[in-house]
Amino acid sequence: MSATPTVRASAAEDDASAVRSRLASPSRLTVLVAVMAVVFCLLAALFGLVPTAQATINGFVAGSYTGLGAIGLTLVLGILKLVNFAHGDLLVAGAYFTILFAWLGLPLPLAMLGAMVATAALALVTEKIVWQPLRQAKAGTLQLFLSAIGLGLVIRFSVQFFAGSQVRTLGANVVDSIALGPLRLGTLQAVALLVGLAAMLLVGLALRFTGIGKEMRAFADNRALAEVSGIDTQHVINMTWIVSGFLAGLAGILYATAIGSFNPNFGLTLLLSLFAATVLGGIGNAYGALVGGLVIGLSQEWSTLMFNARWKPAVGFALLILMLLFMPQGIFGRKKRGS
Amino acid sequence: MSWRIERLGGWAAVSAIAFVVSGHGASAESLDLKIGALLEASGPLSEIGPPAEKATNLAAEVANKAAKDAGATIKVGVVTADAQGDPQAALSAARTLVDKGASCILGPGTTPESISVLNGITMQRKITLWPLASSTRLRTVKDDGTIYRTVAADDLQSKALVQAIENHVGKGKSVAIVFRNEPYGDALSKSFTTDWKATGGTITTTVSFDPQQQSFDSEAGQVVADNPDAYVVIDYPETYAKFGAALVRTGKFDAKKVFVADALSFANVPENIPAEALEGAYGVAGGSPTGTETYKLFNKLWDEAGGVANASYTANTFDAGILCFLAAVQAGSTEPGAIRDKIRSVTQDGAPQFTIANLSEAVKAAETGKPIDYVGVSGLFRFKDNGDPSTSLYDVFQYKGGKQVKVEQVNVK
Repeated sequence: MSATPTVRASAAEDDASAVRSRLASPSRLTVLVAVMAVVFCLLAALFGLVPTAQATINGFVAGSYTGLGAIGLTLVLGILKLVNFAHGDLLVAGAYFTILFAWLGLPLPLAMLGAMVATAALALVTEKIVWQPLRQAKAGTLQLFLSAIGLGLVIRFSVQFFAGSQVRTLGANVVDSIALGPLRLGTLQAVALLVGLAAMLLVGLALRFTGIGKEMRAFADNRALAEVSGIDTQHVINMTWIVSGFLAGLAGILYATAIGSFNPNFGLTLLLSLFAATVLGGIGNAYGALVGGLVIGLSQEWSTLMFNARWKPAVGFALLILMLLFMPQGIFGRKKRGS
Repeated sequence: MSWRIERLGGWAAVSAIAFVVSGHGASAESLDLKIGALLEASGPLSEIGPPAEKATNLAAEVANKAAKDAGATIKVGVVTADAQGDPQAALSAARTLVDKGASCILGPGTTPESISVLNGITMQRKITLWPLASSTRLRTVKDDGTIYRTVAADDLQSKALVQAIENHVGKGKSVAIVFRNEPYGDALSKSFTTDWKATGGTITTTVSFDPQQQSFDSEAGQVVADNPDAYVVIDYPETYAKFGAALVRTGKFDAKKVFVADALSFANVPENIPAEALEGAYGVAGGSPTGTETYKLFNKLWDEAGGVANASYTANTFDAGILCFLAAVQAGSTEPGAIRDKIRSVTQDGAPQFTIANLSEAVKAAETGKPIDYVGVSGLFRFKDNGDPSTSLYDVFQYKGGKQVKVEQVNVK
């Protein structure tokens, strides 16, 4: 969807708004980048360049963990308008499918790939047995919301039932780091950051240029219009779940690998940050999810230069509220059109 | 009608005979004592669950054998539930234990859990609670005399840490403190700061972190920033798996400078904690007087039982179970309040002393209702008014090759 809402179905609707948002969105990003740059310079002057730069690297790492997980979430939220509280538990499923496949004897890279496919399949199964029937029964927002919470619990406790609730590890080397002069970046953290960037670009470009991507955006804009213009809406919904599930699996695996130690509750603790990144980035926008995650990560890690680290979530989320006051539609989000 | 009266009369006669034979009023019928184990089977402290469970079972086994040898009619059973390291889960687990008939409860592992269980059920039911939590905060809560601890509180652990650092790093050195943001770490870090400064040492920084966070690299950077001579780490295994990795990633970290508090004491370093984060690290945990016959006997029993390796505080859990048993014998009842009222009279100064080596004699003596003095595997018990022990012996250990090796013992007051 990104900065250019050139969806055929809605293009005629409001050309002016499309132009406006094309101009408005980059400027919001520019302003944000400028503010971040100023804050960086201020912090560097106050606390020294090296500590500030290290906090910035740490912020990028923390941000990539949430940003990557948020990409799948933002798709479901933007396209299907579903507040998927079970998304965090899809990440958990990804991590535990890896453990399952590795236990069955697959080498780790294959087990990871298999786990992503399995998580995508799981997401599709939830569509078939929960969301499609609920839509057909004309369930309201509250019912869908509660069902999502319930589904999350079912997934989490199923994982617990089969795998136990003890702390697990994928056994990756989490202590290696890359030295950049006086700065340090964990090797696996760098991998997570790069994969996050790659996933964001791939999903963003696919939404913009592929046929199914365009259909997804059309569906997100106006479902009825998409349907009458000949788009197979059930196919779009299925694909959204598959992509979202695949990305959730990827995020869960990377998170579990790079953090090194996890239990079935990690999805729940991550969920709030995922939603924060989604909302700050602009709902339904892949770039926004990652950028939103990075902004939250940076705010939190920068705050540790000034305050005791135990306050970093409080400071991070206070800044989130502040930013939303200035841009309620998020960094890449579009202004709501009157319909 | 007359038949029924006859039957009743018959029962009364049988009871009367039993009364005379047993020689003690209340234990006329056989007692079925249930000891509740509120275990950390899952959650952030799941490393301590299995050893605590085994220690409780061992206590029941030893108690049953002693009762049999003494000809007493009391039987001891264990009921368990998982506290999950979470106050709400701990409370519902405690309710389960009470429903299963627990007369006293061993555990849980953390202070918030203990307070939740205390206020939610045990104080009201007069059930003695024996937390493994060592925070000084449990000293000041209103507990109606139901909380007893066989582990020393953290003001003493702080002094043990000071001694350990003085012994292995030196006096007057610089120390960075890092703690998981919980009552345990908060209180212990404050005590340690005061105690360390009193001996002329300096604190470079005190970093506390929120356990829910995904990454701790900034926090780890602050810990190593001023290159302190030692780090004091007050953390749980779950988070140290992540925090330790972040410390190693800073590239300025030396695990040999680490001094961990007792929540990071394990027989073997768990596999999810990177080896580099603890290899060569020192730590303290409550110790038992080694070299005593009791200690050797306990170790022998532990090894014979098979299963998990011995760990810190197993003797304390074991002793708590035995104390509950002896109090029940002396009270001649499994009623929680009656047991609570006898705890001090089975650890009475000046009374005849018994250990697990002659526990059947302790049972016989307790049955008479006279005070006794049970000397535990973890030492002598002199409970203060607040239920805290005056034991003050700590092990100083070091991790070598992923295993805990005891280095020395320190006695603190």
